[in-house]
Amino acid sequence: MKSPIYIAGIGIISAIGDNAAETLAHLTASETGVSGMEILPSAYAGTLPVAEVKYTNAQLAAKSGLEPWQTRTAQLSMIAAREAKENSKIDFSKWRCGFISANTVGGMDRTEDFMKDFLADASSGDLHDVINHDSGDATEIVAEKLGCTDYITTISTACSSSANAMMYGARLIQNDIVDVIVAGGTDALSRFTLNGFKSLMILDEQLCQPFDENRRGLNLGEGAGYVVLVSQRVLDSEQVKPLAILSGYANANDAYHQTASSPEGNGNYAAMTGALAMARLTPAQIDYINLHGTGTPNNDVSEGTAIRRVFGDTPPVMSSTKAYTGHTLGASAGIEGVISVLALQHGVVFPNLRHQTQMKELAFGPQTSLLKRPLAHVLSNSFGFGGNCSSVIFSKS
Amino acid sequence: MKPLFINGASCISPQPTFGTEFPFEAKEYTGSRLSCIEPDYAPYIDPKLSRRMGRLLKYGTTAGLQALRDAGIQVPDAISTGTGFGLLDDSGKFLKNVIEAGEGVVSPTAFIQSTHNTVSSNIALAIGCHAHNNTFAHKGFSFESALVDAQMLATEDDKMANILVGAYDEVTDYSYQIMQRLGLIRSGGESNTELLKTTGRGTIAGEGAAFFVLSTQKAENTYATYRGCKLIYKPSSAQTLSEAIEAFLAGHGLDRSEASVLSGVCGDDRRDTILRAINEGLFKGNTVLAYKHLCGEYMTSSAFGMWAAVNILRTRGVPEYMLLSGTPSCPQHILICNSYKNDYSLILLSVA
Repeated sequence: MKSPIYIAGIGIISAIGDNAAETLAHLTASETGVSGMEILPSAYAGTLPVAEVKYTNAQLAAKSGLEPWQTRTAQLSMIAAREAKENSKIDFSKWRCGFISANTVGGMDRTEDFMKDFLADASSGDLHDVINHDSGDATEIVAEKLGCTDYITTISTACSSSANAMMYGARLIQNDIVDVIVAGGTDALSRFTLNGFKSLMILDEQLCQPFDENRRGLNLGEGAGYVVLVSQRVLDSEQVKPLAILSGYANANDAYHQTASSPEGNGNYAAMTGALAMARLTPAQIDYINLHGTGTPNNDVSEGTAIRRVFGDTPPVMSSTKAYTGHTLGASAGIEGVISVLALQHGVVFPNLRHQTQMKELAFGPQTSLLKRPLAHVLSNSFGFGGNCSSVIFSKS
Repeated sequence: MKPLFINGASCISPQPTFGTEFPFEAKEYTGSRLSCIEPDYAPYIDPKLSRRMGRLLKYGTTAGLQALRDAGIQVPDAISTGTGFGLLDDSGKFLKNVIEAGEGVVSPTAFIQSTHNTVSSNIALAIGCHAHNNTFAHKGFSFESALVDAQMLATEDDKMANILVGAYDEVTDYSYQIMQRLGLIRSGGESNTELLKTTGRGTIAGEGAAFFVLSTQKAENTYATYRGCKLIYKPSSAQTLSEAIEAFLAGHGLDRSEASVLSGVCGDDRRDTILRAINEGLFKGNTVLAYKHLCGEYMTSSAFGMWAAVNILRTRGVPEYMLLSGTPSCPQHILICNSYKNDYSLILLSVA
């Protein structure tokens, strides 16, 4: 990496809290956010647990300051991105600022309301519900509110989306296109994604158990997570202390299957080794791996196999925090990026909830109790549909 | 950032742009919805696989693979693409299935294909490309973000030799009906060739896929030089945009008189105000070309524009049907000035 990129602020909203402080409290107390469905109006309420942000759209709008008819994806994004901006203590008006957000569903939560009427009669359906459909829409709404309009874009690479947003943001700063970037992602629960994952038969009807021999699938979640990225020049000028360094990252492709990961975890391996090479770290220097760890049979064995290839049979401590937040898809790398920064800041490894039985394919398992120890380097993995695999390394500043 | 050479290009569109010589013979349409002229996919996609694929997945993948063949590259060092709406037809299809089944049992095929990154990853899958793979889904900045991604990659990493960049979108029955209801589409049954000659409300809906191989080394097949791209969100006035254009050109050592313009005017007066003012103000007297009457308006139509521009720069000829104002002289530099609602972008290309 040419010049270091620092994280100057973090913001997060998910089923385990409306901000970073609440998130840290729930993670430390081993309190899951996965529960019965109360907000999403789905036929699967009562059968499929989800990690919902337990606010209606109107309640979210009261927090975000956006209009209640605007998409849930935008509402969640606004709340977390604003927290990240405020947390950074940087005067955005002095700099060229950009907003790089990620999502996979866009305004699908509203579109599915529209489609019900529209399918019955093409002249019906409230157009308000569909004009925010495309993925870029939430990004522009929030970018304007943040005052980050010097560079705006949206990345949609399935479950690795917001890792790629952070990388792109860091590179925009290094290439002197902007000075300050708010980067991360957002995704709201929708019937579209719920039924999609259901049709793929990878949803767990119980609470998910990542990296467990008897894991049955994933629980979907929703939320948003963002970091504020800056250069040394901005830090010096603003006289603010960074929370962490974004020391390495890599984007690779598994090129194996549209939805499944290769048994050897080739894409995962390439992403992890690429991020280590950029950070100029040896595998032994990683103190904690925040796993992609969705809880599906395929992901966890593929990721575990790739970890063994990179780290050997005695890898660093690791845990998946999806047992708390659910799998938040396009937001997951943003949410887990914030969680990784919290781990570094507070010197704590959050336990992998509900782990009972060691996976037979692996010689190692996840951390199952709260571990307090100073951490220097945290690796965060995000792997998605289409073989899109990304890894990011956060280091203590 | 360093300039790159466009060593491969491919385009599937409502015009005969695929497997033909440039300038193509422009096809005339009446009506306000233009659909791609689909090629035979068999030379690119195994028919067993393509049977299950949606239209956009097929023409997006094919355009990408053909750009690589055109450049004589088997596996690029990175793939970066843009799409405004992604695989809209599969999204609509899956949503319809879910609603009609009352959230019962549905096939996952349309859901799998509905993800925005399906085309980019399908190309990676087809050629076994494990490298950097990105998909941007941001309205009128989707393609442009991928161009910036590619130029940054080439600048950051000396080993980057060939990067596949492209963009793709589709218009579906649902999206067309919704655009009509939103008043975005012209209602008259006029010819597409009249779109930019008349002023009116609404544009024509279009679609397409265009891909390019951006390389660090010049080749025999080089179409043009890609110099750079700038994204400008919601310029407050034509004056603001004029200043940004002049600064961008100056950054590349050019004066406004030196560039021919490929304008993204779409025929809707409400949306063309600033671009028309630029064409008639800043670029008064320059050659001004246009393209949206050929491919229709869509979020990634600037990729069609870039495909036409690099062909003009290679063949040294301007097709009459693209001329908006000025003389059809052979340009040395083409500046694409596009807008899709609030998203304005500049793409600078030069004779290689």
